[in-house]
Amino acid sequence: MIGTTSKSVGTTEPGAATERPVLTFDRVGFAYGDRTVMRDVSFGIGSGEIVSLLGTSGCGKTTILNLIAGFLRPTEGRALVDGAEISGPGPDRGVVFQAAALFDWMTVAENIAFSLRCAGRPRRERRQVAEETAALVDLAGREDAYPYELSGGMRQRVGLARVLAARPRVMLMDEPFSALDVQTREDLQEQVLRLRDRTGCTIVFVTHSIDEAVFLGDRVFLIDNLRQGQFEAFAVELNAPRASSENRLAPAFLRLREAIYRTMRHSH
Amino acid sequence: MNRNTVPWRYRILAVLSPLALLALWALVTMQELVTPILLPPPLAVLAALKDMVAEGYSGVDLGTHVVSSLRRVGIAFVAGAVCGTMVGLLRGRVIEIDALFLVPSEIVRPIPPLGLIPLFILWFGIGETSKILLMFLSIFLITMVNAQAGARACGLDTLRAAQSMGASGWQTFRFVVFPTALPQIMTGLRVAMGTGLTILVAAELLGGDRGLGFLILDASSFFRTTYVFAGIILIGLIGFVSDLVLVALRGRIIHWEGKR
Repeated sequence: MIGTTSKSVGTTEPGAATERPVLTFDRVGFAYGDRTVMRDVSFGIGSGEIVSLLGTSGCGKTTILNLIAGFLRPTEGRALVDGAEISGPGPDRGVVFQAAALFDWMTVAENIAFSLRCAGRPRRERRQVAEETAALVDLAGREDAYPYELSGGMRQRVGLARVLAARPRVMLMDEPFSALDVQTREDLQEQVLRLRDRTGCTIVFVTHSIDEAVFLGDRVFLIDNLRQGQFEAFAVELNAPRASSENRLAPAFLRLREAIYRTMRHSH
Repeated sequence: MNRNTVPWRYRILAVLSPLALLALWALVTMQELVTPILLPPPLAVLAALKDMVAEGYSGVDLGTHVVSSLRRVGIAFVAGAVCGTMVGLLRGRVIEIDALFLVPSEIVRPIPPLGLIPLFILWFGIGETSKILLMFLSIFLITMVNAQAGARACGLDTLRAAQSMGASGWQTFRFVVFPTALPQIMTGLRVAMGTGLTILVAAELLGGDRGLGFLILDASSFFRTTYVFAGIILIGLIGFVSDLVLVALRGRIIHWEGKR
């Protein structure tokens, strides 16, 4: 099941997938000068779908994310969101960074409402959206704190909230929980699944943890050698509600985890 | 260091060290180890200061000397800091602007301000313009270098985060690049203030009959060493107070510094 033409949407959420993909890569290639990072990569990601990009460091998974975010432009092929070519970064594609990248000089509320400030929304609306969004990620009551007063997990919640506040089509997450302790990480993974159910947001999640990729994803793209356009797509078949820690022990979870592990071993 | 957490040891040492220097000074002069022409005793300096407060110096009262110096430094500092910071921030973010300023500013930067005095007299005369421009130039160059380094300190992810939340170029600059550069800008302001006061004396070499720099130079040419010392101490106090103000401002504005 080489994923270059994969259109199957492995979601268990009824009605989550639509016919037309939100994100489309059409034979995308990317090179830094002479150094080719990827070539001939094609896939489609449906509305409300979570796709985990799994792979070792340097395999090119973050490059895919940067191409979707518009931080990089394809050197070949086309990258599309809702059928339109991606021409640069924009609030329809929010990014949650590994180190949060919060603005330390702004309060939590100001961080969360930053996209509204840039869009010229009035102060009262910004405050209201900040409070609503903070509540959504369990940050209610911390709106006036500064990022340096928060724990690592709470900082990532702010990172999530400021993306959500812009009501994006797509959320791009670049190993956002890899520096957190296990308990916090698992809480946040479940939070991401709940947020998807609530907002219908499409999510691309980069990780190097098999467990995280399987627990979060509707599909897992196992990235091996993007220079030949190859990756394998695994459909995740877990019971709803997905945001249940029981799923971490479900036979389907363990089987898929093993299958991915064996594939990774086999290819090296 | 937070004001509330300054340990007592720090406060005591900070107060003791100037007192110790004062005691050493008094001791050396009381034992008459040096002639008063070279190092007058502290009490004589205090008397000179009192005399200037009461009688003024060279027909002009002390307040006028202080105010005319403060005015020169103030104008040069505000103008130099605003221009230097703006150019520095732009140099840090726009490579074409960096290229434009690179060679001219790097050639001018190592020139000692004293070396420019004859040129400035030729170009701008011996009035206020020359004095203020001499200080302006140094303050401009210092704040520019610091603002440029500060603007470069902005991380790629932070810039990308702003862009992906819809920030325009100007919004990214105002909300992200500028606050990131602020700590370094404030450091530049402190250094520039110190240097500005240093150049004050040199700038007042350019003629005129008022200002603390004039006072010091005039007193020294008549070997009135007590007045030289009094003038030096006044300039030192101005520098000390302005630095305290800048440090307090820094602590208030840059509340996030060093807290992560």
